Amino acid sequence: MTEQASYTKVFDSPAAALGDLFDGATVLISGHNGIGVPESLIRAMIASPVNNLTCVCQGAWPHGAESVDLADLVESGKVSRLITPQGFGPDRPGAVKQSWEAGKLQIEIVPQGVLAEQLRAGGAGLGGVFVPEGVGTRFQDGQEVRSFNGREYIFREAIRADFALLRADAADFAGNLTYRGTQRNWNLPMAMAARISIAEVDEIFEPGRIDPELVITPGIFVNRIVQTL
Amino acid sequence: MPSPERIDDHHMALRAARELAPGEVAALGPGLPGLVRGAVPEGTGIVFLSESGVVGVQNPDTASAQGAATGPGSAVVSTVELAAMARAGYVDAAVLQPAQVGADGGFCHWTSAATPGLLPPASAVELACGAGRVVFMLPHTAPDGQPNIVAQCTLPIDGVASRGVVITDIGILNIDQSGLTLAEVAPGWRSDDVVALTGASVEVSDGLAVMDFTPPEPGSFDKVYSSGVAAISDMPDGAVVMIDGFAGPGGMPHYLMVALRGHGAKDLTMVSNTAGIARIIGFGTPPGYQAIDHSILIENRQIRKAIASYPVSPSPARPSAFELAWQRGEVEIEVVPQGTLAERIRAGGAGVAAFYTPTGAGTLLTEGKETRTISGREYVLEPALRADYCLIRGYKADTLGNVVYKGTSRNFNAVMAPAATITVIEVDEIVEPGELDPEAIVTPGVYIDRVVRRPADFSPYE
Repeated sequence: MTEQASYTKVFDSPAAALGDLFDGATVLISGHNGIGVPESLIRAMIASPVNNLTCVCQGAWPHGAESVDLADLVESGKVSRLITPQGFGPDRPGAVKQSWEAGKLQIEIVPQGVLAEQLRAGGAGLGGVFVPEGVGTRFQDGQEVRSFNGREYIFREAIRADFALLRADAADFAGNLTYRGTQRNWNLPMAMAARISIAEVDEIFEPGRIDPELVITPGIFVNRIVQTL
Repeated sequence: MPSPERIDDHHMALRAARELAPGEVAALGPGLPGLVRGAVPEGTGIVFLSESGVVGVQNPDTASAQGAATGPGSAVVSTVELAAMARAGYVDAAVLQPAQVGADGGFCHWTSAATPGLLPPASAVELACGAGRVVFMLPHTAPDGQPNIVAQCTLPIDGVASRGVVITDIGILNIDQSGLTLAEVAPGWRSDDVVALTGASVEVSDGLAVMDFTPPEPGSFDKVYSSGVAAISDMPDGAVVMIDGFAGPGGMPHYLMVALRGHGAKDLTMVSNTAGIARIIGFGTPPGYQAIDHSILIENRQIRKAIASYPVSPSPARPSAFELAWQRGEVEIEVVPQGTLAERIRAGGAGVAAFYTPTGAGTLLTEGKETRTISGREYVLEPALRADYCLIRGYKADTLGNVVYKGTSRNFNAVMAPAATITVIEVDEIVEPGELDPEAIVTPGVYIDRVVRRPADFSPYE
């Protein structure tokens, strides 16, 4: 009998991969306008007993009856706070808007590029960055504004989280990820910025099957892998 | 007398397309701007940046979800990279749909206006802040007849366009420091009627024209230069130049370095990982030859200052050309830890002014620098680093400048490419757009200004 690989990051199920998710955790969830959303992991979260989650994501609005998305997670009542550039879609506000209006859901709006850079900073071990976007608007309220080379910038602290839920095309046992099309969107900064990153993938390979030059998210940033259901 | 008809969304998109020129990068925000891509015929050479993560020349496939289809010559990038491109000024024109625009260029994005109390701007904030100019598309008046173009926004603003053009269903207004100028009217409209429906004072242009919906002319651009010398011939004395290379020959633009030696620009500030140690260490150089590296520029007395993480030889007995020049007092040195060097260059390429890093805190390397305690840890403020020129090396590039690397030769190349005003790359092979897999491209062409082919018989030794 051949010996098993010394370690693998592959978990049996989305629920198993989320086994230590806890009340009040901060969770980064990848996906952009319905593309690259970790649906099986979101289903497992909805079925889990945890509550009071803070979710960082691009937006939370329904993309269709077939798919599960952030709106379903919010509707399940497990999310108490969203950090997002878009909130809910103006055309399809649904349950997310109702929760927000009822005061059951806090929504913190951050411009998209700022949020991406805050996550990237968190993932790269930085404390924070000075970015130009938002100067002269409501987004500078309460923030430190400083001038560099004659232009004003706003200080933004890095964001780090407890978990990141990712969606990739393929992974190897070591967690190296490749994506399909525009699926990669928020995955890389989120993978870097979380203590535990969980990737949901279509295919899982033995190490060596993925061309190292085509890996987009190195396995060093990925802790757990599950097959999409 | 009834008003003439207003033009429809499609015609607004057709007119907006005429604002874009071949080779320009246009970022399309959500809403009406999404129609612009479909209004541009194939072969105009306009590079579209879509929020979904595609940067590409002409992707006519508007039917696919979020414009996610990749066309020939396009590249797939992450959300972070998209935002960085916009912030760092790689977008020539941001096309946005505001709910309201002020004569001062202030605007409220439609997604913000659609949800009072929440005001979500999506990507509008970074697109407007970094773009060379903003093309606004919106109906001239709200459904209740109130003007959408006003002296100053009554809605909260998402940004200010210092240069902009407002395309509406009845006319076109230019925004600059002097305010609004009516430049065009929709067919059948008189300037007085358009001005009357505008909520701010408007000057009517002497050259007032009727909106033209003719598609933009076909145009092409390519970034290929005939030689290394041709690609750097405009480099002035005193320029700041980033030159790739980790230590050994991998990823080093030898051909461009030789061209720069021939060009002779002086007083250069060189940003690189080492200041040239391949010549000392050899890294497999055949007997009787010397490796080409940064040393050739130092020996030619072109370098005034180096910013590097490893500017010396590992062997005290065999000092590098840079060390000798430094001992003679001919050059200055700024030593930067390797990761901080990479991060400073990355910040420069991403439009970030400065960042707090834990690297080097409490050591001599960060003496005199501002520190800050964040979440109980000490960080040091480090400024971004940008250059006038960047000389890098790839494996293959297409004629639009999309690049793939080979093995570990990407090292500092990919991080340096966005951080210079003029980025020149030497590659082993130049291919036509469409030959490189958009998902495999490491450096999108948006960052590359000039491409040269390293001659097949060029030797990295001399």
